[in-house]
Amino acid sequence: MGPASDGRGVVLSRRALSFALDWMAWGYVAYCVMYLLNHYWYTVYVDWWGTLTLPTWGWPVVILATLELAVGCRSFGRSLGQRAIGAEFQDKEGGRITIGRRLARILLWHISVPLFAIGFWRGEDPWHDRVVGVSLRPISPDPERPGRRALATQWGILALFLGALTLWVGWLIVGINFQVLIRRAPQAGRIWGEMLRPDFRYFTTPDPVFSLRSQSYSILDLAVVTVFMALMATILGAAIAFPLSFFGARNVMGFSPVGWAVYGIVRGFFNVFRSIETIIWGSIFAVWVGYGTTLAGILALTVHTIAALGKLYSEQVEGVSPGPLEAVWAVGGSRVQVVRHAVIPQVLPSFWAFTLYRWDINVRMSTVIALVGGGGIGDMLFYYKNQGDWPKVGAVVIVIVAIVWAMDYISGWLRERIA
Amino acid sequence: MVCLPMANPYLVVEHLTKVYERGQVLALRDLSFTVDKGEFLVVIGLSGSGKSTLLRCINRLIEPTKGKIWLDGGEVTRLSQARMRRVRRKIGMIFQQFNLVDRSTAIANVLTGRLGYLPGWRALLGWFPEEDREKALANLERVGLRDKAYVRVDQLSGGQRQRVGIARALMQEPELLLADEPVSALDPATSHSIMQYLEQMNKEDGVTVIASLHFLSLARRYGTRIIALKDGQLVFDGSPQAIDNVKFKEIYGEDAEEVEVR
Repeated sequence: MGPASDGRGVVLSRRALSFALDWMAWGYVAYCVMYLLNHYWYTVYVDWWGTLTLPTWGWPVVILATLELAVGCRSFGRSLGQRAIGAEFQDKEGGRITIGRRLARILLWHISVPLFAIGFWRGEDPWHDRVVGVSLRPISPDPERPGRRALATQWGILALFLGALTLWVGWLIVGINFQVLIRRAPQAGRIWGEMLRPDFRYFTTPDPVFSLRSQSYSILDLAVVTVFMALMATILGAAIAFPLSFFGARNVMGFSPVGWAVYGIVRGFFNVFRSIETIIWGSIFAVWVGYGTTLAGILALTVHTIAALGKLYSEQVEGVSPGPLEAVWAVGGSRVQVVRHAVIPQVLPSFWAFTLYRWDINVRMSTVIALVGGGGIGDMLFYYKNQGDWPKVGAVVIVIVAIVWAMDYISGWLRERIA
Repeated sequence: MVCLPMANPYLVVEHLTKVYERGQVLALRDLSFTVDKGEFLVVIGLSGSGKSTLLRCINRLIEPTKGKIWLDGGEVTRLSQARMRRVRRKIGMIFQQFNLVDRSTAIANVLTGRLGYLPGWRALLGWFPEEDREKALANLERVGLRDKAYVRVDQLSGGQRQRVGIARALMQEPELLLADEPVSALDPATSHSIMQYLEQMNKEDGVTVIASLHFLSLARRYGTRIIALKDGQLVFDGSPQAIDNVKFKEIYGEDAEEVEVR
């Protein structure tokens, strides 16, 4: 269906989206400008580390100013938001839109929008557009004018401007400082030097320092624990994600209300749990089952693996060719049989590839999950680091590199075999 | 109101209508016809005339918008999904694009024809009974592919794939076979060999066949009766000999030229 047959709701929400984008873009520029004014000239007082405080008149001024800029930009030519939805204002009779009419549209907008409840929308255009005789239509390229190079257009210039502004303000906000990097190089050099003389005394014999925590482990002990953490998390995660992924696939769940609901819940679960990083899950489980325990690490890795693999699996299921599914339906198969005999044979190779890829991630994650109390070899690493015992840190780092490299090699080899 | 003739026809289609996309596309318009047991009915018509939709409405892979369908005296359009699955076991179907799992072996694809008869747990584990395996090999033998039983389907040619599709349908021991443009993806020589398998099923096993075809020559050669669709409407229903040049132009449009498949 073409844009002409879209309902009014669709048209309205597209316009609202594009308007919000324009307003936000100008809001961002205003924020950056205020930051620079504050940083270089102290002309506005902004407490960046606490709440954002402007003079009492500041907020309404900023909000209204950015709103005016957005409306103005939209009336004059194509704005960022209009570009985003691929639309521009066109004259209904096909003529040029004069500056006067554009200004009139801005003025009328201020009457029309506050009174939008009274006959604002009729057909596709709001009142202020109808009076001026313009309409928001899909961009029609001018055949007379050849396209210019991307960076030479107003969009290219705008993108360069926004990029430069972001770098400038970002530099100040993040506090990039090259002097420190140079000035403190000798200290770093000393640490590097110590790490390069690794201390492997406790490679197999337990290090007595951990008896303070009534623990007894050597580097090798924890290396083995770490490898198994990654393996357990991958196997458990894949085993749970596998059945769940079919409930998160549109083509398997069908289009009944129940199908939609289950699909939505499962996909929502995947998305939410995936967006919470493993490290955050680690700190949650460390509080739950004990700080520094391997269990906390495995649980954190497993939960994130379920969500990440579940999403990848589901998308793969949605991408299968529909023919074999239809064939199994046609012989009188049930939904479960369709999945078992038409979907799974198609997706199995990519499921394996994704699982191995996740194993890679889990191996790397399991070496640092101890940072938030997840156990494993990282526990040792961060302990020695806090003690300033750099030769031992060096030894642990070498072992971590060896583990990651070996696991990477094995999973890469397996992936090649399967593909 | 249904007026069933003395000998009940095997399949009755009455006022069948299918509307797609919120009333935008009328795929089938008020279609009515009957099919007797043992007939080889060929459905002809241009691409998009509603042939595929019609076939899929009969086994309800597509839900009809309006109208009724009786099969062997039972009204299929009124059945629940669970009961429909039981009816589908006796309706074989073969497809233009074969609809096989390319990564699986020929025999694995053929065995899926038995799924409707398998208890849930067995189907879930993929444990087919020994007699099903023997039957699958026998059916592959019948379509001349016994030696390809354990070859992956993506290693087979188009004609061989369609024969695997036929073997899968044979596994169902069907009473009715729906063939949705079974030879459109194949070359002329292969087309005839595939059509001959269908003819054999029709004549020797007494399977009622409803096949949609592109080529009128194939329709004339194999069909015992032809119906023609144009824009979802029935424009012809009769014997293959009854289609003359005038009728042909009416079905396919003024500019159409008949092409022979030898």
